[in-house]
Amino acid sequence: MRDLLQQTPSLGNALWFFLAAVVLLVILLGFVTYAIYFERKVIGWMQARIGPNRVGPLGLLQTVADVAKLLIKEDTRPKHADKALYALAPILAYAPAFAVLAVLPFTETLQFADLGIGILYYIALSGITVLGVITAGWASNNKYSLIGGLRSAAQMISYEVPLVMSVVGVVLMTGSMNLREIVLAQQDMWNFIPQFLGFAVFLVAAQAELNRTPFDLPEAESELVGGYHVEYSGFRFAMFMLAEYVYMFGMGAMVTILFFGGWLPIHPALSFIPGIVWFAVKLLLYVFLQFWLRATMPRPRVDQLMSFAWKVLLPVALLNILITAVVISYQSGMI
Amino acid sequence: MLGLAKGLGYTFKRMTAKKVTHFYPDVPFPMPPRFRGIQHFSPEKCIVCNQCARICPTECIQLTGKPHPDPEKKGKIIDTYDINFEICILCDLCTEVCPTEAIVMTNNFELATYSRDELYKNLTWLDDNNTNVREEN
Repeated sequence: MRDLLQQTPSLGNALWFFLAAVVLLVILLGFVTYAIYFERKVIGWMQARIGPNRVGPLGLLQTVADVAKLLIKEDTRPKHADKALYALAPILAYAPAFAVLAVLPFTETLQFADLGIGILYYIALSGITVLGVITAGWASNNKYSLIGGLRSAAQMISYEVPLVMSVVGVVLMTGSMNLREIVLAQQDMWNFIPQFLGFAVFLVAAQAELNRTPFDLPEAESELVGGYHVEYSGFRFAMFMLAEYVYMFGMGAMVTILFFGGWLPIHPALSFIPGIVWFAVKLLLYVFLQFWLRATMPRPRVDQLMSFAWKVLLPVALLNILITAVVISYQSGMI
Repeated sequence: MLGLAKGLGYTFKRMTAKKVTHFYPDVPFPMPPRFRGIQHFSPEKCIVCNQCARICPTECIQLTGKPHPDPEKKGKIIDTYDINFEICILCDLCTEVCPTEAIVMTNNFELATYSRDELYKNLTWLDDNNTNVREEN
């Protein structure tokens, strides 16, 4: 993959890139399908139920059936909705979710773009999804959608700040924003040990960025009907759901790369297991954590949410930067 | 923070706990012994006293009798016996009032049909509904 990246652009390798992107999309759709299945299964087990078990063996085709249902559903649009924006919003929400995956190094060689500013690219692009969410809320011409959309915007913008700040510690330690180099710098020790504070802040802020429990206020069913996508049905709704789960994949990959050493094995002796397996295991553990949290946590109030981001997470993240900077300066003999 | 860990620990342990789900349509659900299900009717026991039709709060029982075919014997035997399960509330009063236990409750309860007409059950159907008959009536 990396040799391909360094070739001179031509029609031939453009086709290769296109095919690779299609393969990634198919893998991603498979991941989303079974992430939803296992979410329902795991939450079911934790609630003393057995979860979906009727469609196909062990219910394995449940999500396939659900998606098929969504795709053949009528595409409804509220009468006074803003036509153009209403159609644009799901695309605006989903396109960046897929685009951020380009910079993620799945193994040493398997990467779609080797950017020097990988972290910035990820965070900047994932910010565009907020725009899709606000657009959806506004264009639906529905007060619940609008409240959901604005809540989501407020939440995602607030939590983006501690999220970025918590990553700065890792960047300071590595001296690079390139995700591949960040992983390679973790050969001796994974970042979550020296950067524990940053890791904790990142985990909480990522949860809020993903709009997932316990920070799922934009979709609070019990108070907002369904949040910003109340008026959406059929494949447009499917796009929003897809964006949510693709971000879960992206954020899981980010946690793996930044704090758990990406494709690196736990111990060098275990390096006979291919890197992609290590990456997948770490990613799936993060995804499991999401389901586990969803089965456990209640939802905070809106005012608690905002003050938590600005009064707790941000100071902690800044403190982490300070500590990291002091330690690094001390080690390099500047103090 | 300890609370969060406790909560997570609890849900994690619950994952392997025994599930409470019943496999009802696949595995029949055993009803308690005093369950009031669809009635079973034995025409040979019936003396056409009409008490069940009169006690019925929703008036869902309709019956007709005819003279005993053996002219030596007195009394009547049952000719038609219909229960309308659209309105029957399975209240058990017909069973309680019946002097000969000709009409008894069973533990069967599956009454879903595609047509409302199928809910009019006649004498033969009620006679054939002889599974899971309640032990005490």
